[in-house]
Amino acid sequence: MSDYSMKDIEWAKINRDVLASLESPRKEFWIVLSVCIFLVLCGAAAEVYQYNEGLGTALMNKPHYWQLYISNFVFWIGMSHSGTLLSAILLLTHADWRKPIYRFAEAMTLFSILTAAIFPVIHLGRVWDMYWVLPYPNERGIWPNFRSPLLWDAAAITTYATSSVLFLYVGMIPDLAICRDNAKGWRKKLYTALSIGWMGRASEWMAFRKTYVLLACFLVPLAVSVHSIVASDFAMSIMPDWHITSFPPYFVAGALYSGCAAIITLFVLLRYVFKFEDYMTTEIMDKTAKLTFAIAMVWNYLNLSEYASIWYSNDMFEKEVLLEKFFGPYHWVVWGMLLCALVAPFAMAFEKVRHNMWAMFWLSLVLQLGMWLERFQIVSPPLASNHEPWTWAVVWPGLIQLTITVASFGWFTMLFLIFCKIFPSVSMYEVKEMVFHRRKASSRTDMEDLDKVKNDMIKAEEGLS
Amino acid sequence: MRRRQKHFLFGVFDDFEKARDVVSELKVLDLKEKVIDNIELYSPIEHPEVEEMLGEFHQPIQRFTFFGAITGAVCAFLLVAAAAQSMFTVQPQGGKPVIPLPMDIVITYEGTIMFGVYSTIVAFLIYSGLPRRLKKYYSQKVSEDQIGIEVQIEPAKSDKARAVLEKCGAVEIREVTQ
Repeated sequence: MSDYSMKDIEWAKINRDVLASLESPRKEFWIVLSVCIFLVLCGAAAEVYQYNEGLGTALMNKPHYWQLYISNFVFWIGMSHSGTLLSAILLLTHADWRKPIYRFAEAMTLFSILTAAIFPVIHLGRVWDMYWVLPYPNERGIWPNFRSPLLWDAAAITTYATSSVLFLYVGMIPDLAICRDNAKGWRKKLYTALSIGWMGRASEWMAFRKTYVLLACFLVPLAVSVHSIVASDFAMSIMPDWHITSFPPYFVAGALYSGCAAIITLFVLLRYVFKFEDYMTTEIMDKTAKLTFAIAMVWNYLNLSEYASIWYSNDMFEKEVLLEKFFGPYHWVVWGMLLCALVAPFAMAFEKVRHNMWAMFWLSLVLQLGMWLERFQIVSPPLASNHEPWTWAVVWPGLIQLTITVASFGWFTMLFLIFCKIFPSVSMYEVKEMVFHRRKASSRTDMEDLDKVKNDMIKAEEGLS
Repeated sequence: MRRRQKHFLFGVFDDFEKARDVVSELKVLDLKEKVIDNIELYSPIEHPEVEEMLGEFHQPIQRFTFFGAITGAVCAFLLVAAAAQSMFTVQPQGGKPVIPLPMDIVITYEGTIMFGVYSTIVAFLIYSGLPRRLKKYYSQKVSEDQIGIEVQIEPAKSDKARAVLEKCGAVEIREVTQ
């Protein structure tokens, strides 16, 4: 595949195409958005229903009721990591193929965090008492206990959310200026305020580039730390199957894996709905799929090494929980995970699959299902079989919990689609840069080819004479 | 006191090569006659080759980042240490560390990054001169596919700069006094 594809796109066309996506998406956009809104309403109804009927309807009277909500929390936090982390790493490594896809990947990060943030609140049950967890002067003299990994979570996620929003916003300022110059009505006012007077001056570009790289340098270690800390929520306990040294890297690899799968899903969705065929090309999908495949193999390795280390440690409790996982009441979750997240990614080894957009779309959904099951099998089986038999209980999610879980997917997709309808989901100025540099590199190669032909001709003439 | 009026010429070009030519010609003109106060480039993408010709911009953003990160580290460390003290006095228990180092490291790490990011953003706003109002002569073609050259010049001698812009193939020239 040519490294110089996309070099012939005109800059004005890039503006036209991306700005058109803000005005006239395909009708499927509205269908998907309507379905998402319906799911969100179902989730809200389920939440209200449990307040009216009693929290027992949401299984809050069972000791392990929180397993599904926390599985969802870990899943969404994991998904949030890939967008910004990949965008930052690919920026620092000068991978120019990131340019058409990084904006929506960063937006995905933001909305995944917003979705994840819902679950700790919901799992409290009485959400109106949520302020009890906030640090404020109170008669009990109680302050946040920084010894708890849950508080580390709060600190890390707050830092990650704010930094990701700033990274997304700063990277979007030149594009907001383009929108400002072409918009009318309320959009004009919105873009004028958000573009803060950007005019593309040399001094602005220079400060922008420095800032963007510095933010990327911060975001890479930050993203790694956040999911390591989420892993600490489990690894710092003494529960069998949670108290594992390799949990932080395992969580980070899992987060990248599910995030990459989500990027592929949204890639195909946006490409179709907003008619971005010229920008989200097969070449970029091929590279994204290869990256996902590589990360899947890292995750596979960590997953299998976790089983091996438990098996060879010969720890009675750890081994018992491991066997329970594979042959106990949750066995189909574990086998389902292995099928979807460990076996299915091998399909990406084939070029035909990587180049088929809809095959990649369905495969990415299978991978995400596998990663969701992975989170559920991390949380649930140890609760059903651990050091203390009196806490053993196999709890399956009820209808209310499942409705709220499905609604979270609707919530995420709804926010994401609204973002893409208001803000450019493809970075116009970065695609222009990519086109500019590819065109330059292509003409340089053409010149070198011409020189080569000329030299060959001279040599041939010399030979003849 | 009455503010001194500034006179600007704003030429729009359809090519970075032309923009580079015009910047070098204007520099020659300035060397000969000392008439130009400032030259500014407006472009739809970053272009270091032309920007270099305008001279160096002093933008020590990384210093803000560095000192911001250090401030964040110190503040976060003190926060956890202070929170540990408050727990210590309200619920006195033996065996608790006065300053709990393991968790202090985690929160300090996050604080370092958070303040580092915030101070970088502050530096970006300072050195890019944002937020600001759009200039009267700003052309929206600059955000599309054309390059703008702004020349701040004495009104009496603007003809010479205009001639340079025209010679180098300006698509459009705007002249404003403000």
